[in-house]
Amino acid sequence: MTSISTDAGSTRRTRRSADFLENHHVYEAHRIGLPPMRPYFRELWRRRRFAYELSHTGLKADHFESPLGAIWLVLNPLLLAVVYYLLVSVISSSTRSQGSAYGFAYLAHILIGLFTWYYVQNSMGIGATSVTAGGRLVLNQAFPRMLLPISSVITSLLMYLPTLPVYVVIFFAGRALDPKSGLPPLGWPVLWTPVIILLLTGIGLGLAMIFATMMVYYRDTNKFLSYIIRIWLYLSPVLWTVDRLHGWHRILLYINPVGTTIGAMTDIWINGVQPNVTMMLSSLAWSVGLLVVGGLLFMSRERDFAVRL
Amino acid sequence: MLSDSDAISLEQAKLEGLRRGSRVIDADDLAVGLEDVWIRYKPMVDANRTIKGSVLGLWNRKRRDAKKKTRVIEAVRGVTMDIGGGTVMGIVGANGAGKSTLMRAMAGILAPSQGRIVVNGRVSTLLALGIGFNGNLSGRANVVLGGLAAGLTREEVENKFEEIAAFADLPEGFIEMPMRTYSSGMYGRLGFAVAVHMDPDILLIDEALSTGDAAFKEKSMDKMRELVSQARTIVIVSHAMGTIVELCNDAAWMHRGELIQRGDPEEVTESYLRFLKVGESAVVREDL
Repeated sequence: MTSISTDAGSTRRTRRSADFLENHHVYEAHRIGLPPMRPYFRELWRRRRFAYELSHTGLKADHFESPLGAIWLVLNPLLLAVVYYLLVSVISSSTRSQGSAYGFAYLAHILIGLFTWYYVQNSMGIGATSVTAGGRLVLNQAFPRMLLPISSVITSLLMYLPTLPVYVVIFFAGRALDPKSGLPPLGWPVLWTPVIILLLTGIGLGLAMIFATMMVYYRDTNKFLSYIIRIWLYLSPVLWTVDRLHGWHRILLYINPVGTTIGAMTDIWINGVQPNVTMMLSSLAWSVGLLVVGGLLFMSRERDFAVRL
Repeated sequence: MLSDSDAISLEQAKLEGLRRGSRVIDADDLAVGLEDVWIRYKPMVDANRTIKGSVLGLWNRKRRDAKKKTRVIEAVRGVTMDIGGGTVMGIVGANGAGKSTLMRAMAGILAPSQGRIVVNGRVSTLLALGIGFNGNLSGRANVVLGGLAAGLTREEVENKFEEIAAFADLPEGFIEMPMRTYSSGMYGRLGFAVAVHMDPDILLIDEALSTGDAAFKEKSMDKMRELVSQARTIVIVSHAMGTIVELCNDAAWMHRGELIQRGDPEEVTESYLRFLKVGESAVVREDL
């Protein structure tokens, strides 16, 4: 009896797989493993519009109801930059006699560093809750779950991009008002900006996928994350400059996933030089590495998400 | 205590019984094929849901042991069933019978822990939670996002939207309001409207008709009859026996994750109702 039934099952299997249609699905048991890559990414690409619309409508709902609306997206990092600038200036001037190092160039440094850092921080923060917040959707529809962290990164990018022109305006204003500020003339190195944004996107998406997966299993992940994020910010060259690191201390820059990328951004905009090769290679390694590790972790676990929500 | 080999042969014996009981359908006419489907999961009430719990568990024996003791829930236990194209299948059963879990597995949302599910055709789901994953977004935004997630293009969604809105027939202006302002009936209407307008080959409906008023129920019944006449396959989970008998031409009764009976809707609902009155002892004696 048993053998007959298994035979019947296998003939059906072969007959079906012969006329493999897009609408034909076979779901089989697995524990932890990767889904078939080609259909996965085909389906992902087919639904790319969903990721964009999800972040767009989400941003609209979150930011267009308050009186200042979308202006907060720019105002918030700007005000925080001023807060940090005052904080660092006050602390430093009390310990040092000459406060000349904290001029306009330093404010500009904090601005570009913080704006850039917020891109990664938002990707991580919004990305971490993307799967748990999309619970109803995850429970009711089958789609590549990676669209959810991708959408979070798109949200963060849409929040980041408007801050760049704001920075440029302040940059030019600073140069015009204070010719001795030490800010460089705008040159070719600025063209590296899109490359760095691309690398940051990889880092942000990788981290978003890692924390989104952790969040499904451990609901207190984002509580830890808020402290990790704060310490991480202080360890990154945002409030301090890369040239403060000497000798073996420089390793701090390279073991920090965003260290060299933010460092490169500062090199371009504050020092007016091309980012050095080692820093760019390190950034590339972190970006690709996190993307691969995060992607594999996420995809191998995502079919388990629906039972965990 | 049975040895492992005994347990397997018992399982297989049960499987054979079910296989004999269920209709054998030609592969070309198969809409959904379930082959010995098991779905197990660990309930998420254990202490180790937090990082703190996991870390403490490293050196706290009591916590670790508590983790070991966590029960594995077997929501679906060895269900084998073929659903032919054009069938309207009703699934009945008490709460916790595994009906919704099985529906999710057919939709590809949950993977089976064991066994195999074959689905031929485009699936549209209307599961218990319904539509509207984000209450802060308008009904329109939720419909559009749901459609895009289902794999439709933006144009297709725009084209369908008017039809969906017309069918759902929400009170004036509600379609542009955040969904948290909707009544449960309005949720149900919109959810049903979305599900039936996705051009599904296979429509999975989980207790969704219960929230609508009488007029909307009639309208949705008409819509389902229309879909049936177009040779679509529909699987309905419902506690309304009347609906099952009226609409379905095939029925299954699940209890504690197992398929108990399969066949004519009237017979199945009748024995299910008899079981509800008599209690569990009867089902144990029931022949599979």
